Amino acid sequence: MTRLRLLLAFLALAAFIVLAAGYPAVAQEPYPSRPISLVVPFPPGGVADLTARPVAVAMEKVLKQPVGVVNKTGAAGAVGIQSVATSKPDGYTLLLALSSISIIPEADKLFGRPPAFTVDQFAPVALISADPTILVVRAESSWKTAKDFIEDAKKRPNQISYSSSGIYGTLHMAMELLSHAAGIKLRHVPYAGGGPALTALLGGHVDALASGPSVVLPQIKAGKLRALAGWGDKRVAALPEVPTFKELGYPEAEFYIWAGLFAPKGTPEPVLAKLREAARVAVADPEFKSAMDKLETPITFKQGAEFQKFFDADAHRLAEGVRKVGRVEQK
Amino acid sequence: MAETLQSLARGFSVALQPAVLLYAFVGCVVGTLVGVLPGVGPLAGISLLLPATFGLTATNAIVMLAGIYYGAMYGGSTTSILMRIPGEAASVMTCIDGYAMARKGRAGAALAIAAIGSFIAGTGSVMALMLLAPPLANFALRFGPPEYFALLLLGLLVLAYMSGGSMVKSLAMAVLGLLLGMIGIDQMSGFFRFSYGVVELGDGLGVVPIAVGLFGIAEVLATAGQEVPPKVLKPKLRELLPSRQEWRESVMPIGRGTVLGFLIGIIPGSAHIISSFVSYAVERRLSRHPEEFGHGAVAGVAGPESANNSATSGAFVPMLALGVPSGPIPAVMLAALMVHGVSPGPLLIKQQPELFWGFIASMYVGNLMLLALNLPMVGIFVNVLRVPYSLLYPSIIMFCVVGVYAVNGSVVDVWIALIMGALGYILRKLGFETAPIVLGAILAPMIELALRQSLAMSDGQYAIFVSRPIAGTLLAVGAALVLLNLVSWMVRGFDWRKRIPLDEHGENL
Repeated sequence: MTRLRLLLAFLALAAFIVLAAGYPAVAQEPYPSRPISLVVPFPPGGVADLTARPVAVAMEKVLKQPVGVVNKTGAAGAVGIQSVATSKPDGYTLLLALSSISIIPEADKLFGRPPAFTVDQFAPVALISADPTILVVRAESSWKTAKDFIEDAKKRPNQISYSSSGIYGTLHMAMELLSHAAGIKLRHVPYAGGGPALTALLGGHVDALASGPSVVLPQIKAGKLRALAGWGDKRVAALPEVPTFKELGYPEAEFYIWAGLFAPKGTPEPVLAKLREAARVAVADPEFKSAMDKLETPITFKQGAEFQKFFDADAHRLAEGVRKVGRVEQK
Repeated sequence: MAETLQSLARGFSVALQPAVLLYAFVGCVVGTLVGVLPGVGPLAGISLLLPATFGLTATNAIVMLAGIYYGAMYGGSTTSILMRIPGEAASVMTCIDGYAMARKGRAGAALAIAAIGSFIAGTGSVMALMLLAPPLANFALRFGPPEYFALLLLGLLVLAYMSGGSMVKSLAMAVLGLLLGMIGIDQMSGFFRFSYGVVELGDGLGVVPIAVGLFGIAEVLATAGQEVPPKVLKPKLRELLPSRQEWRESVMPIGRGTVLGFLIGIIPGSAHIISSFVSYAVERRLSRHPEEFGHGAVAGVAGPESANNSATSGAFVPMLALGVPSGPIPAVMLAALMVHGVSPGPLLIKQQPELFWGFIASMYVGNLMLLALNLPMVGIFVNVLRVPYSLLYPSIIMFCVVGVYAVNGSVVDVWIALIMGALGYILRKLGFETAPIVLGAILAPMIELALRQSLAMSDGQYAIFVSRPIAGTLLAVGAALVLLNLVSWMVRGFDWRKRIPLDEHGENL
C-alpha cells in the first residue's frame, strides 16, 4: 500500500516537472511552430475538400508550417465541426466549413436535441468562396424563364417537384427560401447528397433543382439543363444571361453555398490576426487562383468584421428558413 | 465498329505509355491491398489517394483511381475466402461459400476461380462499356426511386434464399438486420433514430463494422471457443488449382455474373453491392444442387465475384457518357477530373477522346495486370492458413479493428464491430445464420429511402410503383418468384405431412 502511494507520489511529481518544464516553452513559442491541421467535415472530393486542399497548400507557403487536410466526416458534417468546436483554441486546429454550419444547430434546436455544437463556438477567420445557387430545369421542360416556373407553381401548388441534397441541406434551404419569397409550394424529394439529386433531375424523376453553378455548368453547356435564375446578389459570371431572383422582385430569395475558414472560439487575437493575414495572401496566390478556376468556383474573399457580418446575416437567414420549414411531419 | 476499333487503337497508344502503365499498375496494386484489408473498401481507398492524384495529369489520375476501384474487387475475395472477413461490402456473399470451400481444403481453388472470374467479368464488361455506354447511360438514368425500390425488393427476396437451415430463423435474422438498418438520421424528416445522443450514430451502423464483426470477429470467437482446436490446414501445391469439375461448375456462373453485374452496375446508387447478392440468388436458384450452397458451392464464389467486378465497369457508364455522379465512387472520380480542369459532362467523350479511350484501354491492361498479380498470389495467400491459430487469430482481430477504424477514423465504428462480433458469436451458438443480418442492414436504409422518395414523388400515391414500366416489371418478377416458391412450398408441405410419421417411427427405433 505504502509502496503504491510512493509510486503515485513519484508519478505526480514527475508529471508536474514535465508540465512545468514544458509550459513556458509553449507560452513563448511563436505561432505557428508546428504543423496545423485543417479539418474538413466532408469526404474527399466534395466542394469543401476541393476548396480546402488548395487553401492548405497556399497557406503553407505563408505560415511556413505544414497545413494538413483532415477529413472528419459523419452526420452531414456535424461530427467534424463538433470536433473542432471542442478542440484546443491554439490555432493548430482549423475548420473549413460550408453554409451548413449555421443550419445544423438550428435543426437540432427544432427537434429539441442537445446541439452538437453552436455557431458561437467559432471565431470566423476568412470567407473563401460564396457561390449563389441557381435554379435549373431540364432543357425540354416547358418553363423558359423563372417567371414561367413561378406562375405555373402558383397554378399547381405541390405539383412541381424538386430534389435536394437532403432535408435541411443547403439545396433544400435555397428552394425553401424561394418558395417562401414567391409564395409557392413545391414538392420536396430529398436525396442523399448533391450528386444523386442532380442524377434525379437529369433522369426526369423530379422537375427542378437548386444547385451550385459549377456542378451543373457542363450539363447546361451540353444543352441538357436550363438555368432559370440565381439566388445571388449579382449574376453568376459564367451565366451572364441568367437573372437573379432579386432582379425579379424576390429579394428574400438570397442564398449562397459558401466555404469559410474558422478557428475555435478563444483562439488568441494575435494568432487569429496571423491566420487572417495568411488567408489573405493565400487567396491571391496564382496557384490557388488557377485551382479555383478549374473548379469554376470564383473566389469571394472576406475577413474580419466583413466576414462576421456576412456570416451573421447568412446564419440569421438560414435559421429563419429552418424555422419556416419546421418539423416535417408525416404528410 | 471500324471507328470504335480505331479509337480503341488510339486509346491503347495512350494506355501503353510508360507513365500511364505505371499509374495503372500502382492503382491495381493499391486496389488489391485495399481489397485485401478487411474493412477498407474501394471508396475509402480512392478517397485517401485522391489528394495524391492532384499532381498528375487527368488521364493518369483517373486511370490510377479506376485501378483502385476494380483492383479492390479482385482483392476483396481473398480475406473472405481465407478468414471469412469481407474485404469490402461487395464480398459479403463470397464469405459464405468461399470460406466453406477453404474449410474443405479448396481455398486455392476458390481464390483461383475468384481471380479468373473477376478477370473474365472485368474484361467482358469493359467491352460492354466501350460499345454500349452512350445508349445504356440514358436507360440507366430512368432508374429513379420507384425502380430502385422494386430492385431492392427483389434483393430482399434474396434473403429468403440465404439459408440452407431453418427458414424461420433465417427470416428472423433478416428482420433483425432490417431493424439495425433503421438506426441513424431519418433522411426524409431529419429525425435522429436510436442514436442516444451519439453524433456518430447519426449515419447509422456502417456496413463495414457490421460485416466485419458478424463474420470475422464472430468466426474467431467461435473457433477459439471450441474445446478441440481445429486442425491447421496444410494446403498442398497440387490442390491450389481448381479441378475439372470445379471449372465446369464455374463457367456458366461467371458468364451470368458478368452480364448481371454489368446491368445492375449501370444503375445509379450503390448498386454494385446488390449485384453480388442477386448473382448468388440466381446461381442458387438455377443450380442443380442448391443444397450445396452454404457448404462450399463453387458457383456461389464464381457468380458473385464476377458480378461485383463487372458492376464496376457498369458504374462508369453514366459517369463517362453523361458526366453524372451515379454513385459515391464515380462522384469522387468526377471530382478528380474537375481538379484537373476537365469538366465532366455529356460532352466528355467528344471533347476528351484521348482521356476516354485511354481510360478504356487501360482497363483492359489493368485487368490483365490484376490477373497476373493475383493468380501467383494464390499460392502465397493460402499459406496464411498454415499459421498456427494462436498467432493467426490475434492478428485477424487486430486487422479487423484497424480496418474498421480506418474507414472513417471513428472509434464508435470499432465498438460497433466488437459488439457485432459478440452478438454474432452468441447467435452462432444458438444456431442462427448471421449473413441475413448483414444483408438486412445493408438493404434497410436503401429500401426505406427509395420507398419514401417514391411516395414523396407521387404525393403518397402507391400507384407509382405499378404505373412506371420498369418498376412494374421488376415487381411482377418479384411477385412471380414468390408465387413459384409458394407453390413448391405447398407441394413440399404435403410431402412433409407424409414424412412425419415415418421420421417419428424411425426415431423410436
